[in-house]
Amino acid sequence: MTSIKLYILVMLAVLLTGCADHERKLTFWIGGAPQEVDYWESLVDEFERTSGITVDLIRQPSSTDQRKQGLVISMAAEQPDPDVFLMDIVWLQQFFQSGWLQPLDPFWGRAGFSIAPFFRDVVDTVDRFAGHYYALPVFIDIGLLYYRKDLLNKYGYSGPPLTWRELLQQASEIQAGERSHNPGFNGFLWQGAQYEGLVCTFLEFSASNGGGIMLDGQVRLNRGANAVALGFMQDLIRKYGISPLNTYTDMREEEVRRAFQRGDALFERNWLYAWRLHQKNGSAVKGKIGMTALPQFEEGRSVAALGGWHIGISRHSDMPGRAWELVRYILSHSSQKKLVLNLGWYPGRSDIYTDPEVLKKMPYAGLLQEIFSRVVTRPNLPYYDQVSAVIQRAVNGCLAGKQPPDAALRRMQSEIDHIEDIYAKKK
Amino acid sequence: MKVVKDRYRPNEIRDAYLFLLPMLLFAVIFILLPVLGTLVTSLFREVSFLPSRFSGLDNYLRLTTDRHFWQSIRFTLLFVGVSVAAELFFGMVLALVLNESVPGRGFVRVAVLVPWAIPIAVSARMWELIFNFDYGVVNFIVLQLGLADAPINWLGSATGAFGAIVISDVWKTTPFMTIILLAGLAAIPQDLYKQAMVDGTTFIQRFFYITLPLLRPVLVVALLFRTIDAVRIFDLIYVLTGGGPGGGTTSLSLYAFKYYTSGDFGYGSAISLVVFLVAGLLAVFYIRITGFREVVK
Repeated sequence: MTSIKLYILVMLAVLLTGCADHERKLTFWIGGAPQEVDYWESLVDEFERTSGITVDLIRQPSSTDQRKQGLVISMAAEQPDPDVFLMDIVWLQQFFQSGWLQPLDPFWGRAGFSIAPFFRDVVDTVDRFAGHYYALPVFIDIGLLYYRKDLLNKYGYSGPPLTWRELLQQASEIQAGERSHNPGFNGFLWQGAQYEGLVCTFLEFSASNGGGIMLDGQVRLNRGANAVALGFMQDLIRKYGISPLNTYTDMREEEVRRAFQRGDALFERNWLYAWRLHQKNGSAVKGKIGMTALPQFEEGRSVAALGGWHIGISRHSDMPGRAWELVRYILSHSSQKKLVLNLGWYPGRSDIYTDPEVLKKMPYAGLLQEIFSRVVTRPNLPYYDQVSAVIQRAVNGCLAGKQPPDAALRRMQSEIDHIEDIYAKKK
Repeated sequence: MKVVKDRYRPNEIRDAYLFLLPMLLFAVIFILLPVLGTLVTSLFREVSFLPSRFSGLDNYLRLTTDRHFWQSIRFTLLFVGVSVAAELFFGMVLALVLNESVPGRGFVRVAVLVPWAIPIAVSARMWELIFNFDYGVVNFIVLQLGLADAPINWLGSATGAFGAIVISDVWKTTPFMTIILLAGLAAIPQDLYKQAMVDGTTFIQRFFYITLPLLRPVLVVALLFRTIDAVRIFDLIYVLTGGGPGGGTTSLSLYAFKYYTSGDFGYGSAISLVVFLVAGLLAVFYIRITGFREVVK
């Protein structure tokens, strides 16, 4: 008999360990680079002091894919935590349509909150779903061309290129000249590895030739303008050689930024965040660079891919009222101003860009305002992940020389048609 | 069963079952239920942004026409074949060497284990740096030796990336093979070798007629573990190539994972179940061809 008692005791001990009750706290999931995490920590500290609400700040990994994976698992399991979280702009449709988000507009009336200061184009395109706002932009990002002023001057150019042809011409000449003493020098660096960033660069090249991914609400990739643009991307690496061979394997944002910052490139396509890092002490290009809109093809127009992170409240949150308090605090004028001043990032509120204190720190605000008006967005589809995977694979394969541009585009279109057959039905 | 009943008292048998129960429960809760759950999910259209409904074998039918799925099966099987064979070869060589009494054997045995002790994500990052286009040591050596005029983009071609993944995996898991085989070697009575030497056999003969047959049970276990592990390969590829270039190194697990993140749990589950089936079939195959059951008896 004693063995049975012992057995039950041991089993109970095993079962009961770890069943501690959790204190209910508002949970906010964040992630990203260390300086971003620091920003959130200090902001949440202030919020706790002023509001008396305790916040559990959970750090997610810095990789965007892993952040999404963590959120998808919690949401699909209908967990009460996290209450508040950040979302990459391209997740929004999936999150709305999966019913994982609460509409935010019902909170506005009693809180005296207004959506007017936010960039209208952004919130109405990506945050509104079935007449309600389910998310709001915390910061926005766009693709830009960074250039070396000193090198352009040295070779007698008065300014950065307006068209891709000019870029090619300047880059070819300067690369040839610079390589005599710096063999690792490249004309133009951009994101070409097989990952989400490649969809953004592809979108920019194709839209700057009058093409693009979507046409009249449908995915329409197999267009002449896209074939020319994709052919040009391939040629930059394989024919003209002004972009290095590892563009399609290694080049993500940070690889591109570090190489440009070492002084090993003339032009760089990157997001806004790179500016501040390039201008830091210790950067080889500090004070030698400029930033401008991306070039265009002769027939097209200059565009910029839109990125950024949006904030939302979980449908399964056990404290939506307090969650909204936090969201409102994060989106307030003063917090968004801190975002620019401390982090050098770009808030989703347009009224920050006219603030005198901000303008002093950001003399190029006028340029940004102008570029913000011609952003292009990636497709707003709940099955965007699959569409993106097809584009990444085919464009990357084309850059690797595995297939010509028109074949790559035909393949993308037929694969995406197939994906739509599976996911676009409503029943 | 009869033997057991004769040898033990009834309450002893009952106690024995009670003490086995936690292990059985563990197997049911953590192994059987998840597999069944995955099977059930795979029979539904379980997409986060669409209403859930039973769809029978739709997800499996979709697999049959999915080019990327077949590509990932081919890649996974090729990877399993090449890497497990290489691990077996190097593991055997290392085990034979370490089994001889050479000076500093204890130190070498520990040193051999080091790769096994490093987390996969860390070693994958390390190999990524080694194969790096700009500052990787492989390109440095190749250029210094004059084997190529320009740096080679190792991770940029399907073959190069495949080679890099296999090398990283072999480096990381050969120690596992070595340790298991070493334990097997230690269990072979030395008398047999002495006797064989008296008979004037060569080293090769002793290896094929004594070592290999007596090592067979241990060998099958080691191969089984490594093969099942290799079929599930995920983390190394996730960090080293992310499945590129052009999807050329996407393993089955990585392919399933991509569908989980995009919210299609049904299709992801169907792919996961294929991983399970492939691993299961390979295990059965090993046990069959090696006559493992008889050996154990």
